[in-house]
Amino acid sequence: MAIVRTEKLSKVYNPDTVPVHALRDVSIEINEGEFTAVRGPSGSGKTTLLNMIGGLDKPTSGNVFINGQEISKMKDSKRIDFRLQNIGFVFQHYNLIPVFTARENVSFIMLLQKRDKKEIRQRADELLDQVGLGERKDARPVQLSGGQQQRVAVARALASEPKFILADEPTANLDTESAMNLLDIMEKMNREQNVTFVFSTHDQRVIDRAYRVITMVDGAIHKDEIKSPLEGRGVS
Amino acid sequence: MKTLLTISWRNIWRHPARSSVLLAAIIAGLWAGVVTVGIINGLMQQRIDYMIESEITHAQIHHPDFLAEGYSWLYIPNHDEITNWLENDERVTSYTSRTITDGMVQSPIKTSGVRIRGINIESEIRTTNFHENIVEGEYLDSDIRNAVIIGQKLAKDHNVEVGNRIVLTFEDTGNELTSGSFNIAGIFRSASTDYDERNVFIRSNEFIALLGDEKVYHEIGIMLADEELAGPVVDELNKAFTGIHAQTWRQLSPELSMLVELGGYMVILITMIIMIALAFGILNTMLMALFERMREIGMLLSIGMSRLRVFNMIMLESIILTITGATVGIVLATLSINYFSDAGINLEMFAEGAAQLGWDHIIYPVLSSTEYIIILAVVVIITLLASVYPAIKGIRINPLEAAKDG
Repeated sequence: MAIVRTEKLSKVYNPDTVPVHALRDVSIEINEGEFTAVRGPSGSGKTTLLNMIGGLDKPTSGNVFINGQEISKMKDSKRIDFRLQNIGFVFQHYNLIPVFTARENVSFIMLLQKRDKKEIRQRADELLDQVGLGERKDARPVQLSGGQQQRVAVARALASEPKFILADEPTANLDTESAMNLLDIMEKMNREQNVTFVFSTHDQRVIDRAYRVITMVDGAIHKDEIKSPLEGRGVS
Repeated sequence: MKTLLTISWRNIWRHPARSSVLLAAIIAGLWAGVVTVGIINGLMQQRIDYMIESEITHAQIHHPDFLAEGYSWLYIPNHDEITNWLENDERVTSYTSRTITDGMVQSPIKTSGVRIRGINIESEIRTTNFHENIVEGEYLDSDIRNAVIIGQKLAKDHNVEVGNRIVLTFEDTGNELTSGSFNIAGIFRSASTDYDERNVFIRSNEFIALLGDEKVYHEIGIMLADEELAGPVVDELNKAFTGIHAQTWRQLSPELSMLVELGGYMVILITMIIMIALAFGILNTMLMALFERMREIGMLLSIGMSRLRVFNMIMLESIILTITGATVGIVLATLSINYFSDAGINLEMFAEGAAQLGWDHIIYPVLSSTEYIIILAVVVIITLLASVYPAIKGIRINPLEAAKDG
């Protein structure tokens, strides 16, 4: 069964004044374990699609199903809780809590889930080790490079054990080395732990690594390519 | 909760300078509120105490028409019976009888109207502390015959000093004009220059001798164990004796009573002004802090932090700031009030103006524990109310803020 399924998803901004069709009848399915990039020029609707899938925004029409549950009709408070339990987010600007250490940032989401404190600490440390920040657990975001901050953000997204992770332009603010490093980590998690990633990006480095590439133009899906697993992982 | 407390506490210290300024505003607001209320209370209390202890006493007895007309023949008809009653009442700590009439004072350069007060030195000293107002010469317990003490303002107006003679003219109980020559034994200065200008004091026995054949008293001043007893004692006196009118200090001095009320309103007004200024300061700071963290709060909502928790987080920041500020503020205010209630606040530069209005220039602030609690509660409530709007704005932030560019 698809983890994510959208049915004729449309989003129109300013419907009463100057309507802007950000999404037009988008129907897609994303399966468990996919490493998918949604690409397209600015204004093509890729971020809007991710926002709909992530339950951050409501569609004008159409439906979004996550693990079979329709989320676009959920009440705001229920949707927030649904996000907490099911979806991990990685943002372009990292968006870490500046007053928390790396470990606290990773732990925070688990605290919101009211998990056992011992387990939280253990899992936060494991995740930070996995993203190569085992030595920087007590550093605050301001003491970390952009690449390191984004790796903390990935660890945070994984901490809640979500069904999938949405990453909006995760490499846009990173230099090549940091971007490649981050992609290596995410790819490894996808390969070894079957974590599902969905990116919105126009970064060719991400597109090259993706197993599936959905190209959007003017709010609609222009192309949906599934590469061979090896090709998708940059081993052409 | 612990996590929210941690995040709130650290958010507060994200901008130490800004939080310190806000803390300082809360501390200063509370301190200013408490000290201002203390000063106003002190002023009022001193004025009341002074008036009661130096002149009015807790209650007075007169002939029903004496206060309005001031004639010497309007004396208390059954004086000895009343003093006997007072003598046997446990609530009465002391009393003094006074012989009073309006008259004229004449010096070589001037004639002016005054109220002539004949006092019994021993009972007056037991009942009031007016004798402490002597600034030159002696009180009426001196050996000088036909001694008079006059106010400093009157002495200045008449260009007289201790040792000089003045003539007092008044109507006796037989309606005849009588004069007597008196030697200035001392000069007093009360809290009111107006009082100093319009009152002279002589011994009651010498006064009575000039007024007529019989002992007459126009006023009995009564001090009670507690000011609150004035009402019941006065009621009982009015019921027990005919031809007299007993009154409490509040009835005798309605302007003083009104001042007390006015003081109460002033306290509320000043406190509200300070608190409103404080509220806007807090509102401004909390809104600034919120606008800076739009993306961060958007992220918190995105990853699954409930809007209630976001609301609590913002409110907690205000609560922590308020509790910290209020604690420091109340400690500083208490220390200030304690210090100044002993040492007094000396407003020497306003002494002359204050005296004309009947106020002392050294103020001893007073604050009851109830007033402390009220001011503290007002500060805490105002601060929290000022934080509700930013907190509501906080929970209305769209999670999409997290993904915004720039």
